[in-house]
Amino acid sequence: MNPDIIDGFYQATQLQTILATSAGCFTGLVVGMIPGLTISTGIIIVLPLTFVLPPDISIALLLGLYVSGMTGGSFSAILLNIPGTPSASATALDGHPLAASGDAGRALGIAITASFLGGLFSFLCLYFIAPVLADIALKFQSPDLFSLVFFGLTIICSFAAKSLVKGLMSAAIGLLIVTIGQDPMVGTARFTFGQINLISGIHFLTALIGLFAIPQLVDNFADKMKKKSATGTTKNITRVLPRLSDLKAIKLPVSIGAPIGSFLGILPGAGGPIAAFISYDYAKKFSRKPEEFGKGAPQGIAAPEAANNAVTGGALVPMMTLGIPGDPVTAILIGALLIHGLAPGPLLFIERGDFAYGIIFSFFWANIFNIIIALIGLRYLVKVLSIPRTLLMPTIAILCVIGSYALRNNFFDVYVMFGFGLLGLIMRWLDMPVVPLLLALVLGRQLEEHLRVSLISSQNDVTIFFTSPFSLFFLCLAAASVVWSFYAEKKPRNKEKQTETKP
Amino acid sequence: MGSMRTRNLIAAIILLAICAGYGYLTANLPSRAIENSTQPSFFPWIVTIILSVLSLSLLVQAFLPMADNGATEKSKIPPRRGLIGLVIFVVYLVALPYAGFVIANIPLFAALMMLYGERRPVWITGGSTIISLAIFFLFREIFQIRLPAGILDGII
Repeated sequence: MNPDIIDGFYQATQLQTILATSAGCFTGLVVGMIPGLTISTGIIIVLPLTFVLPPDISIALLLGLYVSGMTGGSFSAILLNIPGTPSASATALDGHPLAASGDAGRALGIAITASFLGGLFSFLCLYFIAPVLADIALKFQSPDLFSLVFFGLTIICSFAAKSLVKGLMSAAIGLLIVTIGQDPMVGTARFTFGQINLISGIHFLTALIGLFAIPQLVDNFADKMKKKSATGTTKNITRVLPRLSDLKAIKLPVSIGAPIGSFLGILPGAGGPIAAFISYDYAKKFSRKPEEFGKGAPQGIAAPEAANNAVTGGALVPMMTLGIPGDPVTAILIGALLIHGLAPGPLLFIERGDFAYGIIFSFFWANIFNIIIALIGLRYLVKVLSIPRTLLMPTIAILCVIGSYALRNNFFDVYVMFGFGLLGLIMRWLDMPVVPLLLALVLGRQLEEHLRVSLISSQNDVTIFFTSPFSLFFLCLAAASVVWSFYAEKKPRNKEKQTETKP
Repeated sequence: MGSMRTRNLIAAIILLAICAGYGYLTANLPSRAIENSTQPSFFPWIVTIILSVLSLSLLVQAFLPMADNGATEKSKIPPRRGLIGLVIFVVYLVALPYAGFVIANIPLFAALMMLYGERRPVWITGGSTIISLAIFFLFREIFQIRLPAGILDGII
């Protein structure tokens, strides 16, 4: 057996790592269930705490939060009909009717179990696919890496944007921001305006905190008067452990949701909400009683929950093997690894194989602790839903400021964070997605570096990108993703036009 | 605040202006005489071209009567509260380096509590003081992150 696997397992099973994983799971369940707080925000809040921790413990904590955040989102979706995270939107369709009919405990138990099974399936995918993919990725040269990063950028734009132009524009703004600071090849200071703090560029995490947290804080101004009580439904939480009949009933939807979630998780940009809705749709199509969907069918809870938790393991595959984030959360995880001096990518498996497998096994433990904490602590955890927003939101605001400052012990980063917060608000006003910008911030430097190294090695011959089979493959994929998103953008409009012309 | 068409128009014009400024700065970047190497301005030029083309297409979209500019979602955020929040944050950011984290965080916390709808004076005073101090000491003492105490330096 590969000694790295044993070392990784040992590393993930250390007491501190286990404690960090379970603390992350607890936080994730809390963050996930609070409507208005996304998993990304939760990770941003916790991130400064991880600066002082060793990398394996930090990542274990963040993975626990990621996995449990997905499950926690279903709690408020079931109890309040307000999804705690976007990925739990599909769960509310059947979860809330079942809870409203007096079976809240049963609905939550099904959601927790399906999440666990989905997560476990994606762990297996991660365990078996990641090392193989990393082996293949080791053969990549600069032109291949450029085309891969380029593909990563195009696919995320097409998935994240309602308008292709705005999605690409968001990515281009990100690339523009990335050029601030030292040139990666010859070290020339670019666009720094004599400001010493800009020499090393804009810190990706500072931008991230501003882009995600500030608009969310502002959004919550609007929710001031909205108060929906969970008291009625939480009283119905009696038995949480699913019955044998429920386990039999969710067998098929879990077998549909888990592979769909894992596959879509591997694709950069697809994410939890898409996986959850596709799985829900397929579970309904394959069901013997599709008419029960939407009225509290256990299958309607299990399919999306298995899918959105399976996305987590899937998203870790491109992150760990190629250094390409599958969603905003894995982008933050890349940032967290970089802070600790570890660059995710194929070399991670060669240079720090123990650490790479440690991440994989921490993900496994995260799924185990997720189900344990969720099932045992459910009755107490749901009380979080009654924490007043008036205390929660200012706390998040202060944690964002401290988080930005703590990155480099610098007030400049706090100002940059605020600037990005304003940018995030402007982009929302323009209906422009922020995810492509975030991805461009993560991938932009690599894109420039690989492009320039390729051109130098080929003496400025651009055909190098088309002569390498890997590079050509990724460029074809990039072209297909742009064409597909262009088609996807046009399709609903044509449908709308057709409906308008019908009498 | 205007239709999406108007918003796109404003955005396209601003982005084109940014492209012009960015292009000007790119043109003035120092060049390096290294054989076979690309210049520091190489990638910024690519970004300038891409962003200019995209801004122009947004501008064209804003003018074309048939183009779909997307529906304008009505903002649920009360503009007055949003503006007050912004002003509070700006004042806080200006005061932060001088006042330090403790002194600056307490009024920020209290002001935000009020903005989120809290009206009970005891809750506002107690909540803002206790939580701000707890966060400060948590980071400074337990996580060993040196947070400047500003004017309270030496006292706490």
